[in-house]
Amino acid sequence: MTATTAYQVPANLSPTTVANTSSLLRIVALALISGAAIASRLFAVINFESIIHEFDPWFNYRATKVLASEGFYAFWNWFDPTAWYPLGRVVGGTIYPGLMATSGVIYSALRAVHLPVDIRNICVLLAPGFSALTAWATYMFTKEMKDESAGLLAAAFIGIVPGYISRSVAGSYDNEAIAIFLLMFTFFAWIKAMKTGSAFFGTIAALFYFYMVAAWGGYAFITNMIPLHALALILMGRYSSRLYVGYSSWYAVGTLASMQVPFVGFQPVRTSEHMAALGVFGLLQIIAFAELVRSHVSSKQFQTLLFASVIGLGLLGTAAIVGLTYKGWIAPWTGRFYSLWDTGYAKKYIPIIASVSEHQPTAWPSFFMDLQFLIFLFPAGVILCFKQLRDEHVFVIIYAIVASYFAGVMVRLMLTLTPVVCVTAAIAFSTLLDTYLNPEEPEAIDEAPKPEASTSAVAPDTSSAPTKKQKKAAPPPAGSTLAELVTKAPGTSKRKTGVFGLDTRLLVVANAIGMLVFFVWHCTWVTSNAYSSPSVVLASSNPDGSQHIIDDFREAYYWLRQNTAEDAVVMSWWDYGYQIAGMADRPTLVDNNTWNNTHIATVGKAMSSSEEVAYPILRKHDVDYVLVIFGGLIGYSGDDINKFLWMVRIAQGVWPDEIQEPNYFTRTGEYRVDDQAPQTMKDSLMYKMSYYRFAELFGGNQPTDRVRGQQVPKTGPTLDYLDEAFTSENWIVRIYQVKKEDPLGRDLKTANAFEQGKKRKRTKPSPRRKAIA
Amino acid sequence: MLGFWRSSYSLFLLISLVPYVSAGHSFENTAIVRTVELGGSVVHVTTTYAVKALEDDSKIYTIALGEREHDSTSWLVAKIKGESTPLSVEERESNGNGPQLYDIKLPSPLMSGRTTNIVVETAQTHVTYPYPEEASQKDGQSLKYEADLLVLSPYDTAVQRTKIRSPFPQIHSYTEPEVEYTQDAPVTKSGATLTYGPYKNVPGSANARFAAEKQQRIAVHFSYDQPVLEITKLERAAEVSHWGANLNIQDNIHLRNAGPRLKGHFSRLEQQSQAFFQKPAPHMLPGLTLLLPAGIHDVYFYDIVGNVSTSKLRTAPSVPKGSQSNQFSVLELKPRYPLMGGWNYSFTLGWDSPLADSAGWDRERGKWVVGVPIMTTIPGTVVNEEELKIILPEGATNIEFFEPFPAIETELSTHITYLDTTGRPTLTFSYKNLTDKHSGIIYVAYNVPFSAHLKKPIAVATALMGLFVLAFVWKRVDTRIQKQK
Repeated sequence: MTATTAYQVPANLSPTTVANTSSLLRIVALALISGAAIASRLFAVINFESIIHEFDPWFNYRATKVLASEGFYAFWNWFDPTAWYPLGRVVGGTIYPGLMATSGVIYSALRAVHLPVDIRNICVLLAPGFSALTAWATYMFTKEMKDESAGLLAAAFIGIVPGYISRSVAGSYDNEAIAIFLLMFTFFAWIKAMKTGSAFFGTIAALFYFYMVAAWGGYAFITNMIPLHALALILMGRYSSRLYVGYSSWYAVGTLASMQVPFVGFQPVRTSEHMAALGVFGLLQIIAFAELVRSHVSSKQFQTLLFASVIGLGLLGTAAIVGLTYKGWIAPWTGRFYSLWDTGYAKKYIPIIASVSEHQPTAWPSFFMDLQFLIFLFPAGVILCFKQLRDEHVFVIIYAIVASYFAGVMVRLMLTLTPVVCVTAAIAFSTLLDTYLNPEEPEAIDEAPKPEASTSAVAPDTSSAPTKKQKKAAPPPAGSTLAELVTKAPGTSKRKTGVFGLDTRLLVVANAIGMLVFFVWHCTWVTSNAYSSPSVVLASSNPDGSQHIIDDFREAYYWLRQNTAEDAVVMSWWDYGYQIAGMADRPTLVDNNTWNNTHIATVGKAMSSSEEVAYPILRKHDVDYVLVIFGGLIGYSGDDINKFLWMVRIAQGVWPDEIQEPNYFTRTGEYRVDDQAPQTMKDSLMYKMSYYRFAELFGGNQPTDRVRGQQVPKTGPTLDYLDEAFTSENWIVRIYQVKKEDPLGRDLKTANAFEQGKKRKRTKPSPRRKAIA
Repeated sequence: MLGFWRSSYSLFLLISLVPYVSAGHSFENTAIVRTVELGGSVVHVTTTYAVKALEDDSKIYTIALGEREHDSTSWLVAKIKGESTPLSVEERESNGNGPQLYDIKLPSPLMSGRTTNIVVETAQTHVTYPYPEEASQKDGQSLKYEADLLVLSPYDTAVQRTKIRSPFPQIHSYTEPEVEYTQDAPVTKSGATLTYGPYKNVPGSANARFAAEKQQRIAVHFSYDQPVLEITKLERAAEVSHWGANLNIQDNIHLRNAGPRLKGHFSRLEQQSQAFFQKPAPHMLPGLTLLLPAGIHDVYFYDIVGNVSTSKLRTAPSVPKGSQSNQFSVLELKPRYPLMGGWNYSFTLGWDSPLADSAGWDRERGKWVVGVPIMTTIPGTVVNEEELKIILPEGATNIEFFEPFPAIETELSTHITYLDTTGRPTLTFSYKNLTDKHSGIIYVAYNVPFSAHLKKPIAVATALMGLFVLAFVWKRVDTRIQKQK
């Protein structure tokens, strides 16, 4: 050993011992990472209970229950008459069944080995379980980019990074729960296929692509990422038969497989979103043909001719696609797609999309909140990719650029950015550690090459981490030992630059570890505080510090389930549709599958019109109960009055003559619920249902709405066409029953007035009478 | 012709049967006192027969219940006054109409002229109904009880009277019948007690004709300030685990407020102001207090939409077996919403308890014996239907059971749960109309051979071993056709 080292490294270890130990350590590390990934997602279960979260998961859960209890074919052909009453919904053909099928398979498999786990627990724990698989897939992916140590770092990062946890805590039973694993694994298989030219890995990529298509609408990201990568490689002049085999096998198998999902159907050949993949596929065939001809004919003129024809054919193909789009054979871009390019588009043309909070542009702090120090390492990692720029690095670079843009446009697309941030940050971080943990010190004088210098010639020389690339470039021989990893191999290239002494190393390494520790703290804090609330159950604390559960939603839904007719139709704003269907098991007018804008606008119109206008709408739709969310008593800000303007806007989109947004503002342009509220606002069904008898609760004192911080009038609104049926403990959920037509044929207002007039003669006033006085 | 013969034959049979049914003039009732304790869904009736034998060696005393009374009676026990051992009671074959007869076997035959007092306690279910049928949140709650006026008996009765006691002082109205057996006022009221009678010299009345001609219905309308509860269906599963030394009991309870239906609509404002002034509506159920066994742990209370976080539990430590201790774990259980009249609430309540508290080794039989309570009593509540499952350990054999009163149906089946290979033997008992009188314990005796205990670990070990072998083979077998260069 001629090189000086900064610290002692055990030298005489047998290569097998080192290989076995490092392999064992990797397995242990991956197991621990999986454990940490699963455990950190269980905050929601521990703080609350094993419950399905939020809105969409309730539908997925309900669908899974149908699948588990009635079998796959019944699920496939499931027509749900209770959703979108009276239209109904063909569920089997309008969902991505991958998530439910996954749970169903797990459920049946466990039952087959006599482990009758409750389907709810499978659904709740599916996302944490798959996050462990995501960590593993990210490890495999990053290993292809750099080496195992970077892979382990990336796995650890993605295991606990809040940007991914936000969508995969226990109970968040949504498509994204399994989709990120599928995304990463498809990408890994693609990289592998592209690097080795293996049709096997191309098919694996296609199969996982199919799984992804069956699981998440975001599959279009893969559909465009892989062609983009292939195209970039072609443009960089890196076309190879490996690329051809990998891409063709992926595209051919993957597209055919994806068309088996009913909801996707013929979209892969008929919509613009999928045309890039088809175009690149065609281009590759042309190039491959050209390569073939070139390999047989060696005339320079022929090559130019060929070049021209390639360009010509490419242009022809593009023209064909454009022409087909123009003729209507290929559907143009959808509105959701446009809203990715023009952030104002949705608000103008599709208010329903814009009304969802997760479709808003991302605020800058949320990048730090979701990714913490990874966001700083992210550019460094991308630059390191540029430094080597092998074929797979091109992929990471493209992925980084595209995902960064999308994450900036929509909050929810932060999810697609997170994996690439973890990968690149792991590359950067592991490069840093490689540099500073490397015990070898730089030398001024050239040393003789090491006797056991391995195949270093292949690796391009970089100052930071030369060892790992050697291993990549050539399959590592049995002697890829620890000693070689940390001591000897660096010596193979002469080092002019490097780190002297132990103190510098310690300082930097300690700092790096400090960053990691803070990252873990941050992730734990964000996960437990921001992302682990089921939102069905709210938590507050008692004066003594103990947790107090506000359970109004379930109280009201359960009341509906137990004490109303089974076919009673419930109208509410679409946010609560899935929850009502899932928990109350009652037909709803609209739900979170916002496929019918007019139907939603009808509900919006009913909510924002006066009772007289709304009543015929309610009766025509057989509505028995109307459910509103009101947070004014305890200060729950996500209530319907705060969402009310979206209802008005959506209704205005369909009935611009009857509903006008400005009517709901005061003359000075304020949104108020107090005395100064405009008459249209005060007459609206939503306002009346929210504040009905609210003022009486204050027993003569000035009633205050705690969400909006405004003092509502002491005389509350009266209702003629609806009747209060149930109000939850904290008044969050209020349910009204729609009165039937008056048996005497009067309109209900007159009938009510008559009733009250009759009561006026009595000595003892009735409660309703009191409400008016 | 044939038809005529048949009809006359049956007529003859009827004539010859009638004296038999009403006969057996071996006794005479010197006095009958019936006491009715009014309640919500359960009404307790105690009837004391002062009996004088007219013949020597009179062993069987027969009592009669009217048709409707028989249908609503879910529990009947007869004793000699002052003694605690119940007498054996046998239900006679009924011909479908007329009063139902029961034969009570006296502990020792009576000589002619000797007397004894027989006390018959019954529990009637579903005999009261809310009246008026609807009540608003501010209204009180009133029930109506209907019963037969006269106590039936196949024997002549010297004097009989019926006392009806209401738990709350206000009795709105009651029937004043016209009775031929008395000269005085047929009914007197003092406070919360109504007394019908005394009626003198009532002849043997346990026949259809008397029921049709002389019997009358009386009704009492009284106010009742507690919610009337019924459990429409109770499914209890008790799972015995020897490996875990645990007895898990889980109840699926479908609770219903059988009081007057809520008139108009539920107003939270009303309910909250009533709670504020501490004057809750009498027909509203805000919560229940349940007495669970001592020594339980891991109590859970959930419904279809998840955990219900509004319950409070105070556990008591286990008590040694055999000691007559009144230690209970107290569970204050609050439904998600206050249960108004006519509302339903179904939920699941379960707990674990140490197996040693309720099971033991019977040395004489050489068997394990486990005791499972039939239900957790909620006072004044009737259980319309119950299905009780006792799940024994896997591989249990020689199963015997001893029940405090016979079930409608008993079934032995197999239940498969976590890591079972052959499944666990399961006893299922079905019951109807259970009241607080029915709170008994079913004892199940069984053997578990040692090999059955080992089933589970062997199954798990085999499965894991199989996995490891597969992994071993997978790692070491090279399936590649072409060796890599």
